Amino acid sequence: MSFRRKLLMVFAGTVFLSVAAVALLVQFLTRGAFERTENQRTAALVSQFQREFNRRGEEVGRRVQAIAATDALTRMATTLNGTPSNSAEYFDLARSMAESHQLDFLEFLDSRGTIISSAQWPAKFGYTDNAFENLVASNESGPFLMLEDLQDGTALGLFAMRVVQVGENPVYVLGGRRLDKGFLSALDLPPDMRVLLYQNRGEKFSPGLLISPSGNTSDSEHPAERLAPLIASAERYDQEISGVVKWNSDQSNDELFHAIPLKGVGKDHPLLAVLLVGNSRRSYVDLKRRILDSALLVGGGGTVLAILLSTWAAARVTRPVEQLAAAAQDVAAGNWNARVEVQGSDEVARLADSFNRMTEQLLGQKERLMQAERVAAWRELARRLAHELKNPLFPLQITVENLLRARELDPKGFDEIFRESSQTLLAEISNLKGIIGRFSEFSRMPQPQLQNVQVNDIVQGVAQLFQAQLQAPGRAAINCRLELDERLPIIAADPELLHRALSNLVLNAMDAMPNGGSLTLRTHQKDGAVVIEVADTGSGLTPEECERIFTPYYTSKQHGTGLGLAIVQSVISDHGGRISVKSEPGRGSTFVIELPNRLARPSSASNESREVLS
Amino acid sequence: MKRTVWQWLAVSSILVLFGAQAETRPQYGGTLHVEMRASMLSLDPADASADSFGRRGVISLLYDTLVSWDESGHLKPTLAESWQSSRGDQRWELHLRPGVKFQDGTPLTGEVAAASLRTANPSWNVSADANAVVIQLEAADPQLLAELALPRNAIAKRGKDPVGTGAFEVANWQPGKKLTLRANEECWRGRPFLDGVEIEMGQSFRDQATAFALHKAELIEVAPEQTHRMLQEERPLTSAAKIELLALVFRRDASTAEEKLLRQALVLSVDRAPIRSVLLQGAGEPTASVLPTWISGYGFVFSPDNDLAKARQLRSQVGANAAWTIGYDNTDALTRLVAERVALNTSDAGLSLRPTSANDTDLRVVRIPMASADPWVAFDEALKEAALASGKITGRSLEDLYTLEQTTLGSERVLPLLHLPASYAAADLKDWRLRVDGSWNLDAAWLEAPKP
Repeated sequence: MSFRRKLLMVFAGTVFLSVAAVALLVQFLTRGAFERTENQRTAALVSQFQREFNRRGEEVGRRVQAIAATDALTRMATTLNGTPSNSAEYFDLARSMAESHQLDFLEFLDSRGTIISSAQWPAKFGYTDNAFENLVASNESGPFLMLEDLQDGTALGLFAMRVVQVGENPVYVLGGRRLDKGFLSALDLPPDMRVLLYQNRGEKFSPGLLISPSGNTSDSEHPAERLAPLIASAERYDQEISGVVKWNSDQSNDELFHAIPLKGVGKDHPLLAVLLVGNSRRSYVDLKRRILDSALLVGGGGTVLAILLSTWAAARVTRPVEQLAAAAQDVAAGNWNARVEVQGSDEVARLADSFNRMTEQLLGQKERLMQAERVAAWRELARRLAHELKNPLFPLQITVENLLRARELDPKGFDEIFRESSQTLLAEISNLKGIIGRFSEFSRMPQPQLQNVQVNDIVQGVAQLFQAQLQAPGRAAINCRLELDERLPIIAADPELLHRALSNLVLNAMDAMPNGGSLTLRTHQKDGAVVIEVADTGSGLTPEECERIFTPYYTSKQHGTGLGLAIVQSVISDHGGRISVKSEPGRGSTFVIELPNRLARPSSASNESREVLS
Repeated sequence: MKRTVWQWLAVSSILVLFGAQAETRPQYGGTLHVEMRASMLSLDPADASADSFGRRGVISLLYDTLVSWDESGHLKPTLAESWQSSRGDQRWELHLRPGVKFQDGTPLTGEVAAASLRTANPSWNVSADANAVVIQLEAADPQLLAELALPRNAIAKRGKDPVGTGAFEVANWQPGKKLTLRANEECWRGRPFLDGVEIEMGQSFRDQATAFALHKAELIEVAPEQTHRMLQEERPLTSAAKIELLALVFRRDASTAEEKLLRQALVLSVDRAPIRSVLLQGAGEPTASVLPTWISGYGFVFSPDNDLAKARQLRSQVGANAAWTIGYDNTDALTRLVAERVALNTSDAGLSLRPTSANDTDLRVVRIPMASADPWVAFDEALKEAALASGKITGRSLEDLYTLEQTTLGSERVLPLLHLPASYAAADLKDWRLRVDGSWNLDAAWLEAPKP
């Protein structure tokens, strides 16, 4: 990844993360604010419920008090003190009084809690009110909650009790009003809030026990059963519980419910109902969505803007660096004259200036090194030439001196000596010509003419060429073995040069195995390159020899010029490959040639796929 | 002087006596306003789909039966002047009263009377013989005359609308709501004193009491539970004998022995005394028999006392609980209260009864008006009303009837609770009577202060 792209990513990522962090922070703060608002609204509604509860309770208390103060009650109390058996004529009194005083529940009880008259369950006269003992024991004077038994179940009501004391036996007036949807309707509900009341009968949850101001407590979209766990928790732990009720997959339909237990009177303070205050999360979810949308919009826009700006900024910042990198690549490619334009005086400018100075110094050093190498090469060449030429020149000199001495000392035998000396001179001259020819050949090494070739074919050709020599009589036999990879691809190579290079290696191997041995020609692929191995089982090379063996004019043989392997390396190098040797003394040597796997570019000048490597 | 005083006193006494006689002397004219609880949808006497005292009264104004009950509880000739039975009460021949005309002016003939009886009793073989009606029965029926006194056997001439021979004829009829009658000038018994009768139907007891208090009605029905208060308020109240049965009736027979035990527990758990003393304010009489004692003579033999301990014991013998529903007439407050009270009583015994106004219930609180003073006919009609019997019940001896009733009660299909009186309040209405079947008799009634 380029430096510019990294910079771009860093800039864009920074902007995106910043926007995301701001969005999360805003969401967090929004949720906190909403929760505080919800709590305040819930508290206000609960407070309103309590006020309405007290107001209605006081109203019930006044009505019950008014009933207790009527002459009819006084007469009834008087009558029952005298003849308790006369209660039958009052059995319908509660109903009429409940109607006239607008009470939903009204019962007249004697001193033992026996129902004299009941408005809500007229047929229950003569039976004992189950709640009587608790009510009398609690001595409750204010309004209280109570679950009243009815013919078809129970009903939650707000009750008050008064005593009519005439004589020894009091008559209790127990009246109340239903805590029903009418009661809940009186509550002034803020928008998006609703209130429900669940009557606890100590049984399993039943939607029918749920009361709402609208009367509709359950529908297909808001099944009341979803409230059951919350109600059960409030009942179990007997304390206020909050929870989010998910009606469907749409979060905006979620409601946060506060379940508040409502208790009755008595020593156990039984839990009679659960007040459910629901707060729609629609506005919160909508706001959260708006914040998220805004964050995405701002984040997206900011990211795009950041990319544009950072592209511009990165271009400004990275251009000198890129120029520096390009110059460094040029230098690496051999262009020692590459220079970077220096602009400004910042760190990059100083770096570019240093680079320019460094390349100038490197160029100077390179030139000096080349001059030194050239001198060294000439010296080596001179030394080698001197060495090569000195060897034949010495016999020439001796031969000529012998001729001169024979001319003077033995004229008679001069002819014989002349003839022998002439042969020697011709042999040495021939030797000198050979030396000069090899040097000439090395200097005339041609550039490879690339064409698409199958390396295996070349290897097989070399093996076939040397097959006769390897098995020639008079010398120890060398066994030649071919291990060729049939899947070897066609590559670009000069078949003639490659043939010559391989021939040199085979000749070297033959020289290394005067006592016979095994020659292995192997091809295979490695890391995408085509590999040719020429392995012998000869005397092997020392590590020092391995290091210097490709140096021109270096030879480990008695009569070698030291140019064979140099030519091989030159050929392989001209093909873009490389050659190496693996060897140990006494264990043979393996020359490894690695050629790039590429095809020759078609040439317009010729139908053949040939090209010249520059 | 002393003699003169005595003479003056004597003359004054005679004048006062004549004056008093003038006040009680029947007067023609006036329209009587009656209110009743039942809503009649048909004026055909053969349509006995919903028997009630009010309906019986209306039918008696429009139609006459061949024989009828007198106030002392004896059958008397009415449209039939005489009768005779033969073949051991299997063939009955009733001779019609001559000169009787229907309200449309056509004479009463044997053919018309026979057709009327055939309509009311499709299973009867009725034929006309000159001015007589011959009823040929498949079996002997000594109670035929009492049966002929039933309202459904009133003689009607059926055309577009049925017409009768009664003292009043239809002037205007709004089925189920209001019936206006005018006096039948050609009535064989003579023209009634009243010019007309306006009957408002479907009025609750409370509405009737209100109308009575506001002088909008001169004759109303009074619920049994209201009689105590009416008497306390010194309202003019007339009550017939305990002629209406308040009972619980199961819809079907007990299917298992366990259910029979549960029903016996129910029977024993119901405490009738508080129902009478509180719900009925002392009206009525607790009973365990279908027929009141004044009809059967043996009603007291069946004990109406409850036994909660035994009821619980029976209940404990059955493991499974029977969750029954008990139905009541939603327009009848008494049946509702009784149903709720019974449910409370039975819950004390461990039984579960749920009161409901729905029709399809396991048992119902029903009111069954006694149809006749004849015990056999009354029992037969009561069982039919309670849907407990489909065939005809006939017999001769009271012992047979007692055995039959005992068997019926033993089936646990019907649980008699109380016998209730039929009570009416009347104002400014003189010389009206109550028939033994609980309906009013306005044949001789007249209004003290006729209204225009």
